[in-house]
Amino acid sequence: MPLLELIGLSVCVDNKRIVEDASLSLNSGEVHVIMGPNGSGKSTLLSAIMGLRNARVCGGSILFNGLDITNTPSYERAKLGIALAHQSPPEIKGVRLRDVASAMAKKYGCSDCTLLAKNLFVEPFMNRSLFVGFSGGERKKTELFLVMLQDPKLAMLDEPDSGVDVESIEVIARVIESLRSRGTGVILVTHTGAITEKLSRIDKVHVLIDGRIAYTGSPDVVLPVVFKFGFRKGLEVLSRGV
Amino acid sequence: MLSTRERALSAINKPAPYGPDIDLSKYRLDEPGVEEASELDSTVLNAASRVGLESTGLAYVQSNERALYTAMAKALEKYSVLVLPTREALTRKPHARSLAWKLLDPASDKYTAYAYLYGGELGYFIYVPPGIRVPIPIYTCLAITTNNTIQFTHNIVYVDEGAEAHLVTGCAIPHGVKDGVHIGISEFYVARNARLTFTMLHAWAEGLHVRPRTVVSVEEGGEYVSYYVTYSPVASIQTYPVVYLGRNARAYLASIIASSGRGVYDIGSKAVLEGPGSSAESISRVVARDESLVYTRAELEALESDTRGHIECLGLLLSPSAAISSIPIITSRKQGAILSHEAAIGLIADRELDYLMSRGFTEEEAKAVLVRGFMNIDAPIPTSIKKQVDYILDLVAKHAVG
Repeated sequence: MPLLELIGLSVCVDNKRIVEDASLSLNSGEVHVIMGPNGSGKSTLLSAIMGLRNARVCGGSILFNGLDITNTPSYERAKLGIALAHQSPPEIKGVRLRDVASAMAKKYGCSDCTLLAKNLFVEPFMNRSLFVGFSGGERKKTELFLVMLQDPKLAMLDEPDSGVDVESIEVIARVIESLRSRGTGVILVTHTGAITEKLSRIDKVHVLIDGRIAYTGSPDVVLPVVFKFGFRKGLEVLSRGV
Repeated sequence: MLSTRERALSAINKPAPYGPDIDLSKYRLDEPGVEEASELDSTVLNAASRVGLESTGLAYVQSNERALYTAMAKALEKYSVLVLPTREALTRKPHARSLAWKLLDPASDKYTAYAYLYGGELGYFIYVPPGIRVPIPIYTCLAITTNNTIQFTHNIVYVDEGAEAHLVTGCAIPHGVKDGVHIGISEFYVARNARLTFTMLHAWAEGLHVRPRTVVSVEEGGEYVSYYVTYSPVASIQTYPVVYLGRNARAYLASIIASSGRGVYDIGSKAVLEGPGSSAESISRVVARDESLVYTRAELEALESDTRGHIECLGLLLSPSAAISSIPIITSRKQGAILSHEAAIGLIADRELDYLMSRGFTEEEAKAVLVRGFMNIDAPIPTSIKKQVDYILDLVAKHAVG
């Protein structure tokens, strides 16, 4: 049974269809990459899988471990084992990272949070308000830290490699490898593809264009074409069969 | 020329400029008294526990119109700190007499007039000698344990030159008391280079009217920190403490107001920047629910150049029937003074709520986290007091969304 299955999923934001008829299937321990141009619906798709309220499912269904979670609230999905590293998490003044992390550690039974915080270099901002004044790299690392606290079965990382330095990309890649090695399924949204070069294994690449999964293939086939021709032209090349 | 008493009598029906006007003649005036307390009765303890106070650490307790000496007051003597019921201090200490009703005019309004004429001078007198840094907080508790009465308290605090003290006053009633009036007169003196932090925790009930009247004088280089938290239903609270700041003196005035029921919370403060180099910061956080009505008034007045002041009033509406009015006033009478204010009132942000829910918090848990965070301010008070306040704010956050 797949860990995650999207069956003809359509997602609406403010009554506008952003994702149309998306289907994919991901098993435990697999790493899938979703790529696509700006505004193609990548983040909206992850939001819908997470159950965020601004991304309303307006067609199709989401199965997680065979369970239909299409109408399950996000906090229940989190408890089932789905975690999302948000691309642009909100700044929350007054709510310290330490407070959120300790409440989550209790919820998810994390015993080595301090070590985790150290390994992800988030210790220096544990006492700061969540994401207030964080640099791009700090934000990404904090999101990964919180995802790891959830010890998820499915981790979705929304552009973890955008706006961060080379060292941070190394850290993020290590986290993804660690997640995969423990059997976590990973969906990685990337705009630039920078992170893909650091990963030892990617199982599938999905190209999302205008809200539709236009192409799914192996990284060896898709990535070189996308990097060489871009998304739309690359899609033509891929469709012709490279 | 009228005597003070005659002036007070002339103000006996004078309403306060703000807040609902209370007919004080409806309430009972009890005979004030002072006594030694070896242990506190359960109703007082019940009230104290509502503001996180424990009986063993209290230096002064007032239950209705009874002022109680406690063992802790004696314990503070080892730090040369004098804690006495004000009535005793006025009898025995000429210094106390020289300070009473000097900052505050008994004819200010009917509440000060009543306190002057009928208050019996209960309350605490605290004197911290020069250079003494009191290492432990001085805890006091003012409790109303019977219905339909007026509790008066007249607190005088003098922190002498270079000294430092941390005062915590809990004002509360035990569960079951329905109505009454609390009139608190406070005159605080912070001498040169001295520092006083004053944390006030209020837990009242739906029928209580509360009228604190406070004036603070901070001399050159001194610092006054006020941290006020009120979190229970109340009929009405109206207070507008005024702080006068000398040369290079500083004030930090913070209020956290968690309003509920149908109460009117009219809570303000004023800092008068009298001395060059003086500065003040006024911070308030309001979380309003039910049908409560909150006015936050904050005023800064600069009389000298090279002074600075900032007001920050933030409000969070948790109910469609509650209302918050934020009323900042900044007045500069000298060039070179820098005064500013910011105010914002809003709802819990959906995006923040959604974010926390995606981390596994239920909607109620997420709201509580956000409300708690909203009330977080970095008040410069000792860690031990901060922990106590945090405990109360944790409860407030949970109740605010429950």
